[in-house]
Amino acid sequence: MEKTPAIKYATSLLRLMLAWVLASTLLFGIAHAQSAEPAMVVIAHPATAEDSIPRASLRAILGMRLQRWPGETPVKVFVLGDEVPEHATFSKSVLQVFPHQLRMAWDRQVFSGQGQYPEAVSSPQEMLAKVASTPGAIGYVKASEVTPNVRVLKIR
Amino acid sequence: MYVCSRYVRTTYRLLLVGLVLSWGTTARALDLLDGDFQLHGFASLTLVKTTDNNFFGQSDNQISRDFSEVGVNASWRLTPALQLSAELLSRRAGGTDDGSVRLDYGLLDWTPLSSEEGRAGIRMGRIKTAYGLYNTTRDVPFTRPSIILPQSIYFERTRNLTVSADGAEVYLERYGEGGTLSASFAYGQPQTDTEAAKVPLVGLNRPGSLDSKLAPALQIMYEGAGNRYRLAITALRLDLKYDPGFGDILHAGSFKLTPLIFSAQYNDENWSLTTEYALRRTAIDDFGPYFYNGTFNGQSYYVQGTYRLTPQWEALLRYDAYYADQNDRDGKDFAAATRLPGFTRFAKDWTVGMRFDVTPQFMLRVEAHRVDGTGFLAAQDNPNPQALRRYWDNFMLQASFRF
Repeated sequence: MEKTPAIKYATSLLRLMLAWVLASTLLFGIAHAQSAEPAMVVIAHPATAEDSIPRASLRAILGMRLQRWPGETPVKVFVLGDEVPEHATFSKSVLQVFPHQLRMAWDRQVFSGQGQYPEAVSSPQEMLAKVASTPGAIGYVKASEVTPNVRVLKIR
Repeated sequence: MYVCSRYVRTTYRLLLVGLVLSWGTTARALDLLDGDFQLHGFASLTLVKTTDNNFFGQSDNQISRDFSEVGVNASWRLTPALQLSAELLSRRAGGTDDGSVRLDYGLLDWTPLSSEEGRAGIRMGRIKTAYGLYNTTRDVPFTRPSIILPQSIYFERTRNLTVSADGAEVYLERYGEGGTLSASFAYGQPQTDTEAAKVPLVGLNRPGSLDSKLAPALQIMYEGAGNRYRLAITALRLDLKYDPGFGDILHAGSFKLTPLIFSAQYNDENWSLTTEYALRRTAIDDFGPYFYNGTFNGQSYYVQGTYRLTPQWEALLRYDAYYADQNDRDGKDFAAATRLPGFTRFAKDWTVGMRFDVTPQFMLRVEAHRVDGTGFLAAQDNPNPQALRRYWDNFMLQASFRF
């Protein structure tokens, strides 16, 4: 008697999962040797009404889904390039999304007509200048780089 | 007339390629109006070689260059609640697609409801069908896990029926502490007016035409822990009628296709595990004695792992299985009834592949398939079913570019 496709499916699924878990535990040690990372903070335009934001909403904003602040001001997202270490640190420790997944989410939206890419800036200085001068702007910098002309948003 | 339309088509394609390449030289996208207007695009070229059978052109023991994709899209955020987007696509794929430029999507997205906790809105126009995890961007190489998507669920030969629909889609999203819950319901007219849509259902050289009722499509998705988990259910209903042509041996028959897809993906920092399972109920009625009428439950699934060895290199391993009829998995009953090979009713495909991102804009991919069965092959590239071979290998090499 032949196995049903459902059982075959379940067994091949299990086998592949097992192989993957093994491979990833082996490679985990190598990938995990990393140095201490700087603390990143979320910054917004000084006229922003909020001084804190839920992590879920922040993810929706950085994921380019949520386009408006509660007061109807358009959201304007600024990011550093994918290859900049601060972007990866912010993405992993503050957003808690892998930067690769963030890029994939943007690509899926842009190439199906459902969204747009955020604006990429080339340095923390440009990030601070753009966020300070653009109403509705949101971005991120190292905690040590914050200037008085932007507002720091706490995660709630 | 034919020459004229061909001339126009070639000109359009050249313009599209020119546009992509001219932006390519500056290697950046176009942003106007402070980024509220964005222009993006992609182009790919694939070489295909098979040990038997033809896939994307004449590939049997020779190299086919008949698979290429070129797309350009524009999006304009008019207000925070309104976005206008459109994409032009030219796709060549052996005998199933000739590269003529068409509107891939063109829509107005209106989001009247928006708060910190979620949003809701409607998209109107030509909308990509939310089908499984990959369908909405199925022609964009960078968003795919491999050169070709798992054929058991994302058939290349019947793509036209599910790629997009003209109508409206209502969507709802809720951003919770644990993750994002989203739902979409679309109601629209699928594209049935091409040979590419007709041939996989009724076969080659049929004089009649295919028409579809408005089709509903529902998808519910949960993306948890910052997209670590992505779970989705998709349900679709296609109700198609065949209108026989002059001297047609087929009667006015109908197809009712109701695929149900379960999708799950787990993403870690360097690896992803993805699986999708589809139950495809197909009812074929009233075509008369020269057709394989009946009701079948088709079954498809794949299990796929990808591993990012370095930020630039990614390896892929996948097992993909397709059965046209779960009560006749080896196709014996079908073969007895039609005298066609039984192995045309299934396909089991082991795939290994490698992706190399030379730069963020330029990607190279190589992929090998070992396939048992010919269930997903296109009749346009394989007109004689008796010439098909059950066991075959497929090697592909792809270069793609985006901006």
